[in-house]
Amino acid sequence: MKSIYTILGVLLLLAATACENFLDVNENPNNPQNAPITGLMTNASYETALNVQRIGSITSNYVQYLASPNPASASDVMEPLNYSGTWFNLYNAMTDLTDLISQAEESEAGHYLGAGQVLMALNLGMTVDIFGDVPYSEGFDFSAVTPVYDDDEQLYAEVLSLLDQGLQNLEGTTAISIGDDDFIFQGDVEKWIKFGNVLKARFMLHSPNVNANEVLSAIDNGFEGNDDDAYVEFFEQRFNPWAQVAINNESLLLGGWISTQFIEALDGTSYPTVDPRLPLMIGTTDEGEFIGVPNGAGRGDAPEQGARSTLIPGQYYTSELSPLLIATYAEQKFIEAEAALGSDPDRAYAAYLAGIEAHMDMLEVPASEKEAYLSDPSVSMGAVALTREDIMKEKWVALFLHPETWNDARRFDYGYKDMTLPANLNTDLNNQFIRRLPYPDNEVSRNGQNVPEVTLLDRIWWDE
Amino acid sequence: MKRNFTYLLLLLICFMLQGSYLLAQQRTVSGKITSTEDGEPLPGVSIVIEGSSTGTVSDLEGNYSLDVPGPDAVLLYSFIGFATQSRQVGSQQTMNIALSPETGDLDEFIVTAFGISQEKKSLGYAAQSIDSEAITKMKQPNLVNALQGQVAGVQVTNSGGAPGQSARIIIRGINSLDPGADNQPLFVVDGVPVDNSTIESSGTPRGLSNRMADVNPNDIESMSVLKGAAATALYGVRAANGAVIITTKKGKEGQIRVNYNGSVGFEELNRLPKLQDEYGQGFSGEYQPSSFWPSWGAPIAEVQQTVPDHRYQDNWNRAFNTGVQIDNSVSISGGNEVATFYGSFGNLSQEGIIPFSTWDRTTAKLSGSVKASEKFDFSGSINFSNTGGNRVPHDRFMERMMYWSETTDVRDYINEDGTMRTYSNTNPIYDARFATYEDDVNRIIGNINLNYHPTDWLSFSYRLGNDFYSDTRTEITPGPKGIDGEVALSSTGLLEETRINSRDLTSNFFITLKKQFNTDWNTSLRLGNDIFERRFDEVTARGENFVIPEFYNLNNTTQIFAGQDKRLRRLVGFYGDLMVDYRNFLFLNLTGRNDISSTLPKDNNSFFYPSVNLGYVFSENLTLPSWVTFGKVRASWAQVGKDTDPHILGATYASPDIFPLNGQVGFTRNSVFGDPNLRPEQTTSLEFGLQTAFWDNRANFDVTYYKSNARDQIIPVPISDATGYSSYITNAGEIENSGFEFILGGTPVQTQDFSWNISANLSINNNEIKSIREGIDEIVVGSQFGYVGSTVTMKLIEGEAYGNIFGSSYQRLGADPDNLFLDRSLPVIIGANGFPVRTGTQLILGNAVPKWIGGIRNDFNYKGFELSFLVDFRTGVEQYNQYHNFLSAFGKNEFTEAREDFRVFEGVLADGSPNTQEVWLGQGEGPDGVNYGAGYWRNHYRTTSENFVEDASFIKLRNITLGYNLNPGILEKTPFRTARVSVAANNIILYTPWDGFDPESFSAGAGGNAVGFTGLGFPGVQSVFFNLNLGL
Repeated sequence: MKSIYTILGVLLLLAATACENFLDVNENPNNPQNAPITGLMTNASYETALNVQRIGSITSNYVQYLASPNPASASDVMEPLNYSGTWFNLYNAMTDLTDLISQAEESEAGHYLGAGQVLMALNLGMTVDIFGDVPYSEGFDFSAVTPVYDDDEQLYAEVLSLLDQGLQNLEGTTAISIGDDDFIFQGDVEKWIKFGNVLKARFMLHSPNVNANEVLSAIDNGFEGNDDDAYVEFFEQRFNPWAQVAINNESLLLGGWISTQFIEALDGTSYPTVDPRLPLMIGTTDEGEFIGVPNGAGRGDAPEQGARSTLIPGQYYTSELSPLLIATYAEQKFIEAEAALGSDPDRAYAAYLAGIEAHMDMLEVPASEKEAYLSDPSVSMGAVALTREDIMKEKWVALFLHPETWNDARRFDYGYKDMTLPANLNTDLNNQFIRRLPYPDNEVSRNGQNVPEVTLLDRIWWDE
Repeated sequence: MKRNFTYLLLLLICFMLQGSYLLAQQRTVSGKITSTEDGEPLPGVSIVIEGSSTGTVSDLEGNYSLDVPGPDAVLLYSFIGFATQSRQVGSQQTMNIALSPETGDLDEFIVTAFGISQEKKSLGYAAQSIDSEAITKMKQPNLVNALQGQVAGVQVTNSGGAPGQSARIIIRGINSLDPGADNQPLFVVDGVPVDNSTIESSGTPRGLSNRMADVNPNDIESMSVLKGAAATALYGVRAANGAVIITTKKGKEGQIRVNYNGSVGFEELNRLPKLQDEYGQGFSGEYQPSSFWPSWGAPIAEVQQTVPDHRYQDNWNRAFNTGVQIDNSVSISGGNEVATFYGSFGNLSQEGIIPFSTWDRTTAKLSGSVKASEKFDFSGSINFSNTGGNRVPHDRFMERMMYWSETTDVRDYINEDGTMRTYSNTNPIYDARFATYEDDVNRIIGNINLNYHPTDWLSFSYRLGNDFYSDTRTEITPGPKGIDGEVALSSTGLLEETRINSRDLTSNFFITLKKQFNTDWNTSLRLGNDIFERRFDEVTARGENFVIPEFYNLNNTTQIFAGQDKRLRRLVGFYGDLMVDYRNFLFLNLTGRNDISSTLPKDNNSFFYPSVNLGYVFSENLTLPSWVTFGKVRASWAQVGKDTDPHILGATYASPDIFPLNGQVGFTRNSVFGDPNLRPEQTTSLEFGLQTAFWDNRANFDVTYYKSNARDQIIPVPISDATGYSSYITNAGEIENSGFEFILGGTPVQTQDFSWNISANLSINNNEIKSIREGIDEIVVGSQFGYVGSTVTMKLIEGEAYGNIFGSSYQRLGADPDNLFLDRSLPVIIGANGFPVRTGTQLILGNAVPKWIGGIRNDFNYKGFELSFLVDFRTGVEQYNQYHNFLSAFGKNEFTEAREDFRVFEGVLADGSPNTQEVWLGQGEGPDGVNYGAGYWRNHYRTTSENFVEDASFIKLRNITLGYNLNPGILEKTPFRTARVSVAANNIILYTPWDGFDPESFSAGAGGNAVGFTGLGFPGVQSVFFNLNLGL
């Protein structure tokens, strides 16, 4: 009898251990618990470029690069839309960068740390520029379920501090070198340092009490030519998103129609010169003409194809493998021009011309056309006659589709020549241009008590 | 010590109960009770002296003896499933009785946990069943739909009218705060739990099937619904929301029977919103033949004068087909004393009302049982089904209908070269035809049952169940054909191949011990072990950008993306179930179960939960007026635990599908974070019920009160993306459901030729979120798009009910800023521009969980004729009408015909004075010289959610059937044993205050809980069927 109990006991024990193993199957077979720092860099650099494009696709109608073929379309007439997706993408990138930064700190990978801080600064800066006060101090590490919103001006201080730290780390030593996992510079630390300085200049310039000297000294350490530009080149596996817009439009899934405002600025209507860049940036009608759509008014009785200018596949911005531009030498030159305008008109003027030239070189404008444009008196007005309007207009052209233009437009009070309010403007705007994006529906529903009550006319701190 | 005490207590109770009749000893009667069916002895028969509480129960050999007061005493012999007999004692000393089985009264029995057929009388909780006739009469291809309106406390919602589309079943309200939780009951077929999940398409909703749709309703003998935790405690975690126990048809001893069922059905759209037919394509009142805007143009009649073929096309009626459904099934069954068998084939093919929507089901089933010896028997069954069809993107179809010009024929959709014929917008029918999504499911459900009874009081049972399916899905969106001027559905085209393999294994071993302590006390104890495993693997490969147009192979695409999702869940349970029956009128049932789940953190993954229920059949024990046939009170208390989904704990990283790019694989932090200290959920439920029957069962009434509290709910709480996650899975709260269920039935008329049966059920459910974890103010269940700030959100807030829909509204004068609910009785504030002022503050505009649901079924029989109808209703329910939002944005509602009118909006100005300002409702500059922009409906009406959260109550004539059974006299001359013809119609009458398609349709599918949003779901249908049943 006793032996039976012993056998039973042993069997039970066996069963119990077997059971434990049988049930120990919960480790996630789909998602790993740790990510390699290189994988984080790949995704963060790729997503950052996409974030620039995502915001650019929101703001391009506001700054009247693009216009909807349909009348009263929400983006043209500045109606509030739900930007939950954009918000997610920005925070998703910043979350991954938080992990990249902490992994880099642990493994003393100073260059990853620095590059991570630079990308963090860029994503945070872009977020503040469109939404104002946003969560940051209680963000990313799940310290609070409903993170508070930090003051936008203080966040700008954080952006600049991140850039300073990032530059310091990039200039130091690293246990792991960045490689091809970095989609922006493929591990070229010198370019990262220049890029960090350009971003410093960009964000400092937004401030109403900008210290021009600080901007200029950052620029001194910035890009030295178009070769230094920050961008992500696209892939056979995944086309450039603007190329996709153009391809879709060609298949009559309409999008990427050009605003009349943009065409008239370049075709000799608003300004005395015809800009040679126009045919390199956008398509023509079947008759070879450049005809835009007035924002908010729609295409009228024009058919879907052939009668208006749109983005077309295969151009600089719209080839399948085209780069998505994050920051360019041309932009840097216009920052320099604006910063130097008050103190050093000659430097400003030289930078202004260099900015135009850099953009033209990027688009591969033939030398003769470039020279003809640059020598037109309305363009080369001389250092004394150069105004902020001139700089802003050329920067607007050079930053085609880039979201930085909306920051410029708001700082410039939408003061571009002949820029008028769109037709069918959102009546809540009381005949004024939009000044910010609404907080996304997801934040209102998930973090409602912290979301500030705002209207589309409320301004970001640097725009007040 | 504890055990000793229990034993003493039981003993004490025994003595107390027996004491009363130990005193009256006059004379003894004894005898043996057998069954007339097989002559076998019947143990456990109750023998009571009429008019007293004195009595006994027959022993295992059917013998009994009883002391009777004298020759006038009348003995009542009663036993479950047998007709009660009464005999006067007279001078007899031996009274041998043969009891005949009661026929056709299925109500007396109900199949409960583990397929045990239990006398309903003995249950201490509410359960209800429907038989095969009630199932097949409904002519629902989807078994779940057959329960609609028939069972108290059970809410079945069609997610739409697509062929094979899922239906959702909820028992006693939503028990989980988890927006994605499956609140549906466990489905058990012949003792083996089976999969009823719904895997929706990854992109636009396409109305896929819940997996129970794979089962042929013609194979079903009965379905019992076990509602409370008490009924389902033995099934463990998976039955926390109740269980539906399905018994399939079996072969019976006797000659071989062949049955044929055939039916042909036709269906069409049952309801349309009220639409305008005066204004055509264009914007701002101007006609424009290629405009995106379908109906903001000029009056159609006006344009017609210059463009003769410009007319209202009635597209909303013309876009839909008449659906056809053909169902054939044949079964053969039979057996002898040793073995029985049942086999069947079934084929259903269905074409839906949206063009090119199809669904087919082919089933084959074989089951059999063998009694190898007196001590050993075994049975098994195997059920094969092949299901699938072309799932049209109904949401997108309806959205494209929304954009489609009302003055362009939607049916004229294709050019001769195969490209889309359109003025610019995508034609919905062209899209439905060419952007295909086909699923092909092969499923095998099998089980083996072994039973061994070495002695009378001991038996061993083992069940092994297997539920395997493969689901092959192919989605195709064609790219351009390369023909000049074509409007392609996509600029690149897309091919997505999905392969799903899922296997459920269940193993259940139990020992049953029966002990009759004496004539009064009967006990049975069951001890068992239950193991469950689900292995799920889904692989998807997506190719984009076809090299050769219209050649659909992944190798023909330039961009390929792959993804994989693997899941493994295991559960081990141990359980015990003790049933005590005192003199066949007092029934006590105790259960306990311990589950160990692989999905929870190791420290918290083992959990125990008990249940107790008591049934007291007072009509067997008390002297009641003669018109009371039966009376029972019941009470139960039960707990049941619940685990979570596999592989959700902790933080993980994911590699987005887009990688590798340039040989690099990126990683991103997964946006879901599973609490590493997750505990099992625990639901505690309490139930009281009264079941009565009167006038020889001519009328019956049943009422149940229940309350269940689900604590420590495991919920993926949507959280701000700024936290680094979008969703946090944690034990986040408690929800309480309580309510009453009433069942009223009867046979008002019963004569030789004519009978009328009626059965009605009514349930009310109250629901409250008792608590939500600290730090979380609210839980977002879901939200649905509405134009310009009219998006609505279903949110859970402590102290409020489940299902509240939040959204924007008009400002009201004197509104309490602390009131979460919109008070529609207060006057609307009108702005300086003469239009109502909107507020974006999210207020509760309605609740999507019906307060009352119920149904009434009537069956009339006259000679061979049968007429039955089922009416069901729901009330106290609101939904967000997305159709209404879209229709108003595009100027399609009937009320937008007022677009050339002036109106003074009812309401007050901010100072409280009545509004008198007249405004124009149209677009552009009005006759008053004011520019009204995009007009009232686009600028104001569509922006405000309160306009679209509407009463979604309904009363439906769910089914009406007229049948005729051929006279046996006529049949004698034919080879047929039985023959029946019938006509059935479903949903032919629908009464609802709702303006739109059938309010029952919703876009989320059966898997989700966001039922308050109609989306642009597949519209509901009405149908008529012609049926023929033949028996050989």
